[in-house]
Amino acid sequence: MTRYCGTMLLIAGLALAGCGHGQIFPSKVADGVDKDFDFTAWRNVPNAKTDRKVQLGGRIVQANTDKSGVVIIVTQLPIVERPAYGPKDTGRRSGEFAVTYAGTLDPKWLTPGHRLVVVGTTGQAKTVIVDDVQRSLPSLTANCVHIWRTGGKEIADFPYNIGGGYEPLEEDTHCTS
Amino acid sequence: MRFLERRALTASLAGMCLWSLGTFTWAGEQPPISTGPPSAALVAQADSSPSSVPSSRPPAGPPPGGTSIEDLLLQKGTITMDDWIQVRAEQEYSGAESARRLDAIEDWKTRTELLPMLRDKVNFGLNALQFLYSHQDAHVPEGKSQDNFSIRRSELLFWGRISDTLPRWHALMEFQSINFGRETPTGGSGAATGQPIAATFFRESYIDFRPFQSWAPYMNFIRMGIFRMPFGIFTETSGGLRDIISSPYLTSVGSGNGNRTGSAGTIDFLQERDFFVDVRGKLFNRLEYVAGIMNNNNFHANATGANAPKSFYTRVRLFGTDVSWISFTTIQGETNNANTNINGRGKGTFDRYGLDFRYASKIIPGLMVQGEWWQGHDGANQTTVGRPANGACLDQSICGGSGAPGAQRRTWYVLAKYLISDGPLQNWEPTVMYEQFDPSTSVSNDLYTRTILGLTYYFENFPPKVQSKIQFNYEFRHHQGNGPGVAYDSTFDPYAQNAFLVQFQIRFM
Repeated sequence: MTRYCGTMLLIAGLALAGCGHGQIFPSKVADGVDKDFDFTAWRNVPNAKTDRKVQLGGRIVQANTDKSGVVIIVTQLPIVERPAYGPKDTGRRSGEFAVTYAGTLDPKWLTPGHRLVVVGTTGQAKTVIVDDVQRSLPSLTANCVHIWRTGGKEIADFPYNIGGGYEPLEEDTHCTS
Repeated sequence: MRFLERRALTASLAGMCLWSLGTFTWAGEQPPISTGPPSAALVAQADSSPSSVPSSRPPAGPPPGGTSIEDLLLQKGTITMDDWIQVRAEQEYSGAESARRLDAIEDWKTRTELLPMLRDKVNFGLNALQFLYSHQDAHVPEGKSQDNFSIRRSELLFWGRISDTLPRWHALMEFQSINFGRETPTGGSGAATGQPIAATFFRESYIDFRPFQSWAPYMNFIRMGIFRMPFGIFTETSGGLRDIISSPYLTSVGSGNGNRTGSAGTIDFLQERDFFVDVRGKLFNRLEYVAGIMNNNNFHANATGANAPKSFYTRVRLFGTDVSWISFTTIQGETNNANTNINGRGKGTFDRYGLDFRYASKIIPGLMVQGEWWQGHDGANQTTVGRPANGACLDQSICGGSGAPGAQRRTWYVLAKYLISDGPLQNWEPTVMYEQFDPSTSVSNDLYTRTILGLTYYFENFPPKVQSKIQFNYEFRHHQGNGPGVAYDSTFDPYAQNAFLVQFQIRFM
């Protein structure tokens, strides 16, 4: 019985030690985000809503790196709290947008399929080539991006439902200076 | 005044003439544009099946915003009315054909979208297909070889998601090992040796149940079935993602039968899989927990029926970063030494305590260090699978088994690896691991030690889904013996002689 009590006390202790769910972005970056931003309207008329500070989530489609930074093409996905926080694929296509990140990112973070949440400022529509097709996409300039290395899987699938075993999900936040 | 009247009359006549000319010209164009029957007849011929006539047929008139080319050609007299009709008929036929094809594609799209495979309800993948070459320095019986080719794993994985409430089903088949398993028979020393009773294809089968969506991830889901147990790191790591070829000693070590010291024979200190039901969740994005109850008799228990007394287990894992942690695991319960499929377990109280950590460096990307420390007690009269034992009786002549009074076992390892991500050695990964296993902490001269030097080359490395690689491992193995005063010959002991292994692996899902 003593062992069980000890185990329970240990769990409680570690739970207290683990308190404080950290935000994925610094508070100064997250402040002022337009929480009622209508992505569909923005997608339809990209240039009508510029200079808005927004937070969007999605799945990376492709990324192009050049001297000025990285342009990430993202399929928009809703950000959910459960079963795990982050962009979740609901099966409904909503559209793509372009994220310009004025910095460098390790290519391992830019693999198609990874999930991403970005905080940035909307700008003019950007002409990009996606799958060899030239397209004009709504774009934003990123202050910070948070990327989960899901490789096309759902965030909630980690760590217990990936293949035959435990696999932790690598994630990180990158901000422009 | 007459002059003005004459000019007005002239202008009126000129206007009427121009209007008449314009009307005539327009009238000359009008019939072909508004003529429907010829093209309509051709379209009807093109689509013999009324049901396949598309409802979204393009309009037969001129394209929006202007006159079509054939209209202009007809107007200029370049083509005749017959040519014009033929061109328009071909256009309508082409449009109708395109629409019919689009409808057919749409129909197939609707059907295929309902396929379970495309709705994430059924998936399959290759968990690990491994071809192994091994050379061992230990001597082998006459007629066998020290060099072996084998299929180490041939594991196909099936999984799916039914709904938010049933977020996962999972089945893993191991196709290379269909040999019969044995169990320890009931009865005293007079009982027969355990008979082969089960050929087990499946290694893992489980169902996840998430009763309350709003409780996730704090109480994420309940898992029931058979799967890799949440005991430390290695036990829970898929065979397709392991950094070394051999299994660590904490899973299984030793060969032969047990003895009265409790330190000889095969010892399955931590089974990799078992039948269980548990609850899993994550608190505050920092603390993962698992708590459940299991059969404690390995994965054969489905076939062998009655199995060991249940054991409770729990693990808490505290994350320092997203991929670095420290965790504590304990297993508490009872074991039996009859009808068991696990080596080295006795009758009585059973416990395990484990501490593990992993450090995946953000400062030096590619560097990873992990380790585990385990200690646990096995009850009296431990058994070897296939040999009879019954109860905690220490008199072998009556109860069989090892006759050992129980043993406190201890093991630990540290593993480090570094993935080279650029330069001429890109995708190579050197690995080093050292481990110890002490079968009985109260007995001397029984220690197992092993140092593994490894080198891995990744052809494809997108874990956790894709990993194709070749691994080279050299193992420096040492085994002190089977306890003080026990005769021991290391010549044939594979745990006392070095080994070299090469393994080629494909993993894709």
